[in-house]
Amino acid sequence: MAFGKMANQKNVDPEVVKEKLAKLEPQLSALQEELKNTSDKKKRDRLIGKIETVQGKIKQAKTGERFSRQAKRDLVAYSFIAPNFIGFCVFTLVPIIFAFILAFAEWDGNNAIKFVALRNFMEAFKNDRFIASLKNTIIYCIATVPLTLICSLGLAIILNQKVKGRNFFRTVSFFPYVASLVAVAAVWNMLFSPQKSGPVNMILYNLGMAAKSLPKWSADKDWVMFTVVLFSVWKNMGYYMVIYLAGLQGINAELYEACSLDGANTWQKFLYITWPQLQPTTFFVTIMLTINCFKVYDIVYMLAGGSNGVLNKSAIVLVYHIYEEAFRNWNLGYASAVAMVLFLMVLAVTLIQFRGEKKYAN
Amino acid sequence: MKKRLLGLTLACTMTAMSLAGCGGSSSGTDATTAAADGGTTAAQTTAAAAAGTGETAAPAGEGDTVLKWAVWDISSTVYYQPLIDAFEAANPGVKIEMVDLGSADYQTVLATELTGSGSDFDIATIKDVPGYTTLVNKGVLEALDDYIAKDSVDLSQYGGITDQVTVDGKLYELPFRSDFWVLFYNKKVFDNANVAYPTNDMTFEQYDALARSVTNTTPGQEVYGAHYHTWRSAVQLFGILDGKNSIVDGNYEFLKPYYEMILAQQEDGVCQDYATLKTSSLHYSGAFAQGNVAMMNMGSWFIPTLIEKIKTGEYGEEVADWGLVKYPHAEGVEPGSTLATITCLSIPTSAPHKDLAWEFVKFVCGPDGAEVVAKTGTIPAITTDAVVEAISGMEGFPEDEASAEALKTANTYLEMPVHAKSSEIETILNEGHDNIMTEGSTIDEGIAEMTDGVQAILAQ
Repeated sequence: MAFGKMANQKNVDPEVVKEKLAKLEPQLSALQEELKNTSDKKKRDRLIGKIETVQGKIKQAKTGERFSRQAKRDLVAYSFIAPNFIGFCVFTLVPIIFAFILAFAEWDGNNAIKFVALRNFMEAFKNDRFIASLKNTIIYCIATVPLTLICSLGLAIILNQKVKGRNFFRTVSFFPYVASLVAVAAVWNMLFSPQKSGPVNMILYNLGMAAKSLPKWSADKDWVMFTVVLFSVWKNMGYYMVIYLAGLQGINAELYEACSLDGANTWQKFLYITWPQLQPTTFFVTIMLTINCFKVYDIVYMLAGGSNGVLNKSAIVLVYHIYEEAFRNWNLGYASAVAMVLFLMVLAVTLIQFRGEKKYAN
Repeated sequence: MKKRLLGLTLACTMTAMSLAGCGGSSSGTDATTAAADGGTTAAQTTAAAAAGTGETAAPAGEGDTVLKWAVWDISSTVYYQPLIDAFEAANPGVKIEMVDLGSADYQTVLATELTGSGSDFDIATIKDVPGYTTLVNKGVLEALDDYIAKDSVDLSQYGGITDQVTVDGKLYELPFRSDFWVLFYNKKVFDNANVAYPTNDMTFEQYDALARSVTNTTPGQEVYGAHYHTWRSAVQLFGILDGKNSIVDGNYEFLKPYYEMILAQQEDGVCQDYATLKTSSLHYSGAFAQGNVAMMNMGSWFIPTLIEKIKTGEYGEEVADWGLVKYPHAEGVEPGSTLATITCLSIPTSAPHKDLAWEFVKFVCGPDGAEVVAKTGTIPAITTDAVVEAISGMEGFPEDEASAEALKTANTYLEMPVHAKSSEIETILNEGHDNIMTEGSTIDEGIAEMTDGVQAILAQ
């Protein structure tokens, strides 16, 4: 104990202490004076904070401790977050910053980095594959987000009723989400086989569609995005259904009771109680879905990649374009620029959503 | 105000976090991390593979120099270990350690490994020409010219193939294995249809007629006269065999007759539908093994696989009697003109033991290595009569004379010549091929797409 105290103290030189106090004490009284004359709450809070800091310094000067009590507390707190923060820096923050810088450079990973200002971005908008991937990604988002919302909400409402085998059906609906993507994509491609004898095409054929005009699904450049959207909705709706179920169970049953007493029918109950009460859930689901849609890669790759894993312009998405440019063509700068475009798009969408539904953000 | 700021920061962080995966992956830092990661997993794979095959090689003793060799598919490739054994026997004190980088994206993984610092590979196997071009462009391969001059290696033994991979007057790789395309056929299918077997001298018209003559489109008992794997090279490269056209010069009008022939076959059920093959990702070996394919054009790398799988009983009676003939050819072109794919060895600039690595490269790519490779049923880059005999004399190789004769090639053309933009061109040609074969575009539209796309790249 005594040793610890000694280590934490230096020889107190009265002259130095006096000098420090002469500086700090007027500061303190000036701040206190100011505090008396301020009525605004926020400003007062800030002043109080400053006063506490100065008081801490005075105390430190008097006792001659190396660290003030506040500094010690801070250090302890920092040491607690350090393990996570260092990891975050090394694996997330630094790469992100590096990617930002690279977006304005030309680099193949080996030779010297060359700064090219905005040329990467200009090249991107001249590149057919970039334009195609931008278009496909946006189409995918616009189609997938509302469809998944509707399907998962519908499922959640149905499975929130007292139906027989409710738990069984809940599990079944959740199953596609946990099933391995590789396996279900293979099955899906079998169901949607481009041949006339494919199960889905067989149904269409028997419904009277001409054999020649049957879609080739994921091998058809006009149908591939449709197939991908259909697949994503099916695969992901179970997950969002669970979120909606939680939302539905959070709605106060008294509201429905009151509504019934007023003579509302099922549709009115949905429109005036369920939907408004679910707004925060819908908001959350929409944001998560949109972000996930912009990040899509695996589904398209599995469904439309074929045997060599190369996506055509009819199916290419932004993340795949980033991958192919970065690791197939080794244009790391260009790929980072595309990543920036993707980042800005997601940021913009998220900001718009936050603004539009600010009340639910808190 | 404060809350709004908080909201904004939150939004920023959220998007940043959500993008960390892709944003970060395009940065070099990540690439290096990935390389480091790859190193460990690869090392583990080697260990696992070594344990699995019960590797006989003695562990490196004290004072031995260990050379690290980047390869793929250790367990299913038969010639790595014999090569290593032969080299180690001739060079005491040197041990070769294989690192398996996986076959599917071998070139990408290798490029990542050699990117940045910290790689300690002494020898790198180069799987394809676009991958080679990428590495040469990145400047991570050592030019071999000085070594070749010093040891006066005779390049003429490679039959001119080294000229096709010389970049700006410098050679960065030496081939040790050279595969070329031949026509595999199933004798049983021809016997059942009472049709004569294909020959070593067929024009495309004769080939087309032959394929049609054995085709059976009755549902349930389909027989396909021909089979084309989904690679573009299985169709497009028919067009370059006359030696007049190149796949990288931005003009693709010459592909038209070949696409017409194959689309007509597809239409008439002579070959399986491309779209179905693509979505089901059916492997060509699986297609041939079903026993209802009469002829399939494929690389000679399929020979050892086929022999092996028939021997182990994985492939049944229906394909046990197979043969091979030379590629069909256009009118007036010498039979035996075919496509070649070479597998080469290179020395990375970062290699810790360059001189020893060169000794290994010289051995594997030289006549001694060729003999070792040929003994395993694989075709080495140096093909002498002895090599052809060794392969055609192998157990399981078809016994008819035509099949042995088919191994003698006339003119060979690289599937993809060396070109600075080869990987971009490859992407465009793949897309054009895909659109034509799925009938998403007409042949003319597809050819126009390829022409415009490649010319735009060449103009850059």
